Amino acid sequence: MKRKRALSLFLTGMTAVSVLLQGCGTERENSGKIEIELVQYKPEAVEVFEQLEEEFNRTHDNIHLTIESPNDATTILKTRFIREDYPDIIGIGGDINYSYFVDSGILADVSDYEGLKSIKTAYVDILEGLEFVPTEGTYGVPYVANAAGILYNREMFQEHGWEIPETWEELLTLCEDIQAAGIQPFYFGFKDTWTCLAPWNALAVDLAPADVCKQVNRGETTFTDEYREISEKMLELLEYGEAGSFAYGYNDACTAFANGEAAMYTIGSYAVPQIKSVNPDMDIDSFVMPGSDSPDGNVLNSGVDLQFCVTSACENKEAAYEVLDFLLEHENMQAYLDNQNAVPCKDEEFELASMLDGMKDYINEGKMSDYQDHYYPSEMAVDAQIQTFLMNQDVDAFLEKFDKDWQRYNRDIIRMVEDYQKENGTVGKEGGEES
Amino acid sequence: MNKKVKEKVNWPVTILLIAGLVTIVFPLYMTIVIALKQPSEMTNSISGILSLPKSFSLSNFAEAMRVTDFWHSLFNSVLITGITVVISIVIHSMIGYAVGRNKAKSKFYNFVYLYIVSGMFVPFAILMMPLVKQTAQMGIANIVGVIVCYVVFYMPMNLLLYSGYLTNIPMALEEAARVDGASTWRTYWSIIFPIMKPMHATVAVLTALGTWNDVMTPLVIMSGSGMNTLPLAQMTFQTQFGTNYNLAFASYLLALLPILIFYIFCQKQILNGVVNGAVK
Amino acid sequence: MKKMNNKQLTFLMMTLPILALFFCFNTLPLIKGVIYSFTNFRGYGSYDWVGMRNYADLFQDARVGKSYLFTIKLAVVATVVVNVVSLVLALGLNAKIKFKSALRGLYFIPNILGALVVGYIFNYFFTYILPAIAKMLGGSGESMLASTKWAWVAIVIVCAWQSVAMNTIIYISGLQTVPEDVYEAGSIDGATGWAKFKNLTFPLILPFFSINMVLCMKNFLMVFDQIVALTKGGPAQSTESISYLIYNNGMAGGQFGFQSANAVVFFVMIVALSVAQMTITGKKEEQL
Repeated sequence: MKRKRALSLFLTGMTAVSVLLQGCGTERENSGKIEIELVQYKPEAVEVFEQLEEEFNRTHDNIHLTIESPNDATTILKTRFIREDYPDIIGIGGDINYSYFVDSGILADVSDYEGLKSIKTAYVDILEGLEFVPTEGTYGVPYVANAAGILYNREMFQEHGWEIPETWEELLTLCEDIQAAGIQPFYFGFKDTWTCLAPWNALAVDLAPADVCKQVNRGETTFTDEYREISEKMLELLEYGEAGSFAYGYNDACTAFANGEAAMYTIGSYAVPQIKSVNPDMDIDSFVMPGSDSPDGNVLNSGVDLQFCVTSACENKEAAYEVLDFLLEHENMQAYLDNQNAVPCKDEEFELASMLDGMKDYINEGKMSDYQDHYYPSEMAVDAQIQTFLMNQDVDAFLEKFDKDWQRYNRDIIRMVEDYQKENGTVGKEGGEES
Repeated sequence: MNKKVKEKVNWPVTILLIAGLVTIVFPLYMTIVIALKQPSEMTNSISGILSLPKSFSLSNFAEAMRVTDFWHSLFNSVLITGITVVISIVIHSMIGYAVGRNKAKSKFYNFVYLYIVSGMFVPFAILMMPLVKQTAQMGIANIVGVIVCYVVFYMPMNLLLYSGYLTNIPMALEEAARVDGASTWRTYWSIIFPIMKPMHATVAVLTALGTWNDVMTPLVIMSGSGMNTLPLAQMTFQTQFGTNYNLAFASYLLALLPILIFYIFCQKQILNGVVNGAVK
Repeated sequence: MKKMNNKQLTFLMMTLPILALFFCFNTLPLIKGVIYSFTNFRGYGSYDWVGMRNYADLFQDARVGKSYLFTIKLAVVATVVVNVVSLVLALGLNAKIKFKSALRGLYFIPNILGALVVGYIFNYFFTYILPAIAKMLGGSGESMLASTKWAWVAIVIVCAWQSVAMNTIIYISGLQTVPEDVYEAGSIDGATGWAKFKNLTFPLILPFFSINMVLCMKNFLMVFDQIVALTKGGPAQSTESISYLIYNNGMAGGQFGFQSANAVVFFVMIVALSVAQMTITGKKEEQL
């Protein structure tokens, strides 16, 4: 008897607990409004999104918008997809995860969305280019882009009268001058492998075809041919960085650059908030990586930093579009740009952050190309391979391994491309290429 | 036991041990100093790192509490850890008893023992995705699912501990009770369960430490449920493009306190008790 | 006879529901994971069966091979270091010392901190403080974490720093099971110092030694948090542990199927190692 009592007590306890726990989740107001849930992957932008959420709900009676900005959103999104628990709109970057999501049929075609017309075509093309095989339709609305190149300490440059370099030669001369002045030209922070990709990408857009990965997938070229010059130039740059750059990570590099320990930093505009947290008054500007030997050969390294995709599971596409309309409104976008120093994807005049001064012309002309690493599968760990190469300094071994690994990690994608080619004849050139 | 209490204190060992504390205290000192500094005071030079903050201010702690929604997250963490520990003690000691008392003579219980203990070696990464799917299908993609997962994760380890501890408890005790007419169930609750108290403390500390600091399970199981645990909330400090070490370290120290108190509570139990039960 | 049945029934009632729970949340997902190891599943969306391809690849993959070597090296060294240090520490903390409980409490603190937090703290230590000290002593001042030769040592140090506490506790409770009269008998025989430890103390705490060895080995073979916090597998992919690779490429990357195969092989290896370890120490226990 006693056993039964203990057991039932235990069970009652458990039930009580679980009832209690159910009540702990966030309550959602349910007043007949259409619920739209947006999950975006930039936790650093949480504040501006909270403002936008509030503003939207204040001005819209029929729709209730919830914006979530979780940490490690990519993992969260993936686990939610596993669970088949889809948000209505997701805000993600234009990288390989987007390619996977398109390929998995998770995203809805938004080519019927009116607002898409106001987006710069260069960015829509970048998204098209990210699809493994050309897929009918458009699956994301580019919102903002980031730009990578070289950040520099404007005050320091003005003080010494240094000029912005436009060719590779000029950059090297500049580095010599800076060194002669007793200042360290670069800070890299290569302990974090992904920072190795920043100068790599910036050089790659200057020196390799924008769709090199696709060309390789189609068997038209090899990385050994296309990436040799980039690799060699990476090694040249390394000479001008901090000693033992593999000891310091991204944060260390930001701190050092902020404290004036180096004149330049090969990173993107996204690093500015972190740098300014150490030195709020610093005057930072940027310029395009002059990887080419002629000023015309240089291209700005810019990719879609945040885009909004509607999921196929979204029940009320009209309402989702209304949310997108709201987000794309001029002043709302400006609010985001001010907060995040981003580059707008919308074809309108915006006020850009001062650290983008040096890149403005390229942005306005649309003379830009996507980050090459957006095409690299993350499990291939190209960032770590570049780090290894920078330590060993063996160009041939690096490129050989790159080609070999590429084939293995992209096997399924390459097969998909081959099947597609068989069905559709040769793939028409599309996406990723700039005039 | 107390025969030698009057023997004089072993000072060389005491001094060595106190000197050894440097290895513990120094990293903690760093944590505290960084937690008290402002981001603008951070430098990359050694003197800058070790120096005391310019002004003593708890603003980082206040800010960390605000950013992590401290009291809410703390409540959730305490809830998850507490329930996990209680359930673990109840059911793990129970199966530990059943298995521990029978595995020597029964093939079935020996198999159960090996089967569950080998579960300790299953890499979490392989279970993760199927578990995410499974908990969602069962409708427990929330705190309940997280607790169930923990109870299962710690079962192998705790079974090992309980059944090992039981070998120290003489059968005579139970047999006496049985002669008095008590059922096995009652013998367990009135005799064995209380005797295993020191092991309960050990299990409680181990399970609590593991669940308290765990990020991955709540991250994948209950993401999107709108609930945060402390370690989950602390992920705010680690974004790819920026880490605020000052806030992060302040928040780590805050998260350390509850579990420290819990440990101080249990410490005597673990250290004093293990022997008293049986061996003598 | 009836009583016997009743007793067995109770034991069964205690075991079966818990066993079912364990099966549901451990074995069932494991089986699903094994099934995925024969696919090119990314974790979501559609997938194809690829037969044994993942397993065939696994044995040709240099990166996977390297991660196994690294993990095993790390686990063996860390296990030895941790057990030696914590045994010495336990002996010290069990001696007739002043401030006994305070010292015991303080030495346990590392175990309370999460592995990630410990990693971040030590990251600072290895990046700035240690090189500066090395420079003062005339060394090169290079960070250990930046060197492919030494990064793993740094990881061993952090792993050890944190796990020594728990092992020490287990050893202390082991030492307390040694009855005083054993020592008294020993001192009559004139056993002192090392001889006393080797012949009297150690055999008596052997069960604790073996449980520590197995737990250490298992924990270090699964090392993950420390890697994330300290090196993220670098420099030059020299510190990628198996768990790190499985998580990073399987969950964060798109290789879930392949890494499931890796996890299966890893699981089999750990079980085999642990069984071997337990049999060896078990035999020793019997001999004594």
